Amino acid sequence: MIRIAQLSCGSEYSGIQKEIERAAETVGAKIVYPEVSLEDILNVEKNFGVKVASGDLNLAMARAVRIVENPDLADAVIVMTCFRCAEAAIIRSEIRKFIHEHSRIPVLSYSFTERTTAETLLTRMEALVTTVKYRGLLARERQKGLTAGIDSGSTTTKSVIMRDNEVIGTGWVPTTEVLKSAEDAFDAAIKMAGIKKEEIQAVGVTGYGRFLVGKHINARLIQEEITVNSKGAVFLSDAQRGPATVIDIGGMDNKAISVQDGIPGGFTMGGICAGASGRFLELTARRLGVDITQLGKLALKGDFRNVAMNSYCIVFGTQSLVNSLSMGCKPEDVAMAACHSVAEQVYEQQLQEVEVKEPVIMVGGTSLIEGLPRAMEELLHVKVLVPKNAQYIGAVGAALLVSGLLEG
Amino acid sequence: MKVTKYVITSSESDILPSDIAMKIYGSKYDVNVKETCFGVMVNGEEEVVDALVKDIRALDPAGIFIKDRGFPPGDPRRCRGHRGGGARPGFYMIESESKMLPMISRALASGGEVTAIPEKKKPLLPSRLEEIIKEDLS
Amino acid sequence: MSKVIVYPPTSMILSDLVERMGHKALVVPERVRELVTANDVQSPPLNVTPEEPKKGLRYAAVDVPSGVRGRMALIGPLIEEAEAAIIVEDPGWLTGCAGCSRTNELVRLLIRTKGIPVLDLNYPTDDAQAKVFVQKIRAFLEGLK
Repeated sequence: MIRIAQLSCGSEYSGIQKEIERAAETVGAKIVYPEVSLEDILNVEKNFGVKVASGDLNLAMARAVRIVENPDLADAVIVMTCFRCAEAAIIRSEIRKFIHEHSRIPVLSYSFTERTTAETLLTRMEALVTTVKYRGLLARERQKGLTAGIDSGSTTTKSVIMRDNEVIGTGWVPTTEVLKSAEDAFDAAIKMAGIKKEEIQAVGVTGYGRFLVGKHINARLIQEEITVNSKGAVFLSDAQRGPATVIDIGGMDNKAISVQDGIPGGFTMGGICAGASGRFLELTARRLGVDITQLGKLALKGDFRNVAMNSYCIVFGTQSLVNSLSMGCKPEDVAMAACHSVAEQVYEQQLQEVEVKEPVIMVGGTSLIEGLPRAMEELLHVKVLVPKNAQYIGAVGAALLVSGLLEG
Repeated sequence: MKVTKYVITSSESDILPSDIAMKIYGSKYDVNVKETCFGVMVNGEEEVVDALVKDIRALDPAGIFIKDRGFPPGDPRRCRGHRGGGARPGFYMIESESKMLPMISRALASGGEVTAIPEKKKPLLPSRLEEIIKEDLS
Repeated sequence: MSKVIVYPPTSMILSDLVERMGHKALVVPERVRELVTANDVQSPPLNVTPEEPKKGLRYAAVDVPSGVRGRMALIGPLIEEAEAAIIVEDPGWLTGCAGCSRTNELVRLLIRTKGIPVLDLNYPTDDAQAKVFVQKIRAFLEGLK
């Protein structure tokens, strides 16, 4: 049984404690609370570095100190506080850093509302548990044999065929009917690879539709996107050893993952605002009358500063873009403003929650819209890598990881 | 309606939690009792518990304190044995206040007489501080 | 007999002194009891469900954290019921139901702006202060009768 230590403030009073425990149970984990004394709480300024007005946050920090001093107490940590609490946001981030710096225990940080459900937490918990349970598998650096990966995403379905550490076939289709899209993408990859389906030794599946697709095709590995994408990203970028930061701006959610030696150490997943997704860029491309594949190149010629964006929102932000066009702004400036808007929102809301260490790797279909990694580079002041086959990241990660199961 | 109350003894009281438990076991009251490190928990019908705690208080009026508790004793929803260890957050408050009980007991036992607390010293006036600095540096 | 809300709302010392001096102390555990003895809810540990933060909207807007609103759903009705209050300055070790400082600030504000008699105190640190502490509470409560 994996023990996840919960360091939190407000979950019991938000009515979501049951949801946290339900999500943990679903992934075969148990929530634990490290024992601390009153003295530990009173001495938190000395031992952690700060004491705040809210006692439950002091308690959470005291528990973090205890875990760092006794790493055997927990296999993983979740740090959870109320959304919109400034005091808690500071402490949540500091607890995450504290554990990250002083132990090898993976940490998940999350801010909740009363609407947070077990389903929202499930992928995050699954990733947390995977990093604990399958450390050996995640340490795998080479793909062996003939394997396939399918990434059943919310917007697109991707598939790759890999043989002896090389991608030999790819398939990409918009997601309509989940199973059919998976089969179409898979067939396309098989066709390109020039192999027969029966020759494939194992298939790994990831993405939103992973359970449905995985069951349907009898996949050997069904895995959430956090660990799979981390693995795929560092593999394709040749950054398997040491630190890395993976940013994946998807169709329905975004992931920012802090990776060490190919294994996620801390991560966040955001997924409420369409203004911080690929959808916003699609709408912009449509409004500008260019194909989405051309939007990035157009953006590289523009300057976001020439467009007044009043909102990150997909509705009001788009309105700002339309207004700018009617006032004579150049399409390239509007294209870059859209890229900057998405990048800035991810930067503000998610990258503050993870350790940003180089190399910074952007993956997923949106990373091919050149203006987006450029905007991220300007915000982070570091070079952003977009590896070859970045759009197939989940499928590559799944094909790589599943090959590790062939030897067992 | 069933209620639960903590009966908490000051660490300086001659009455021990076990004395209280024994008294309840030997009494006419139909209640559940659970001993804890700082006192006992009593669970039963409200009027029964109220009458009982009145009797218990009489054992040491200044040294025994009563607190309401939301959960019945050992409720699995709150019991640390069922919930991944670690004290429930509210425990630390009881522990903090328990440390003050001897003082409060003595104050209650002393009745009405109150000695005046000396006023806090006022901070030094800036002008006087300036003088001291000048004297010190000269 | 008056209904007296105490702050911290989970204080054993304050609720004991109020009750032993013949008044009704309004305390959070009574509200928790209502929740945990309701048969049809199973949301451990406190049986606070996402409905409580919604009930808390009566005291704080939706942009106030859910934990504050959930706690206010427990404490707010006590403030409404209160006829007098005893407030002890935050000692720096409040946890659990009193473990959120934003909630505690709102609780104190709502008590003070209600227009009921309020006694302000500090937790005692020695015998002399403890005597004054008890004496002030006694005098305050006697004045309510």
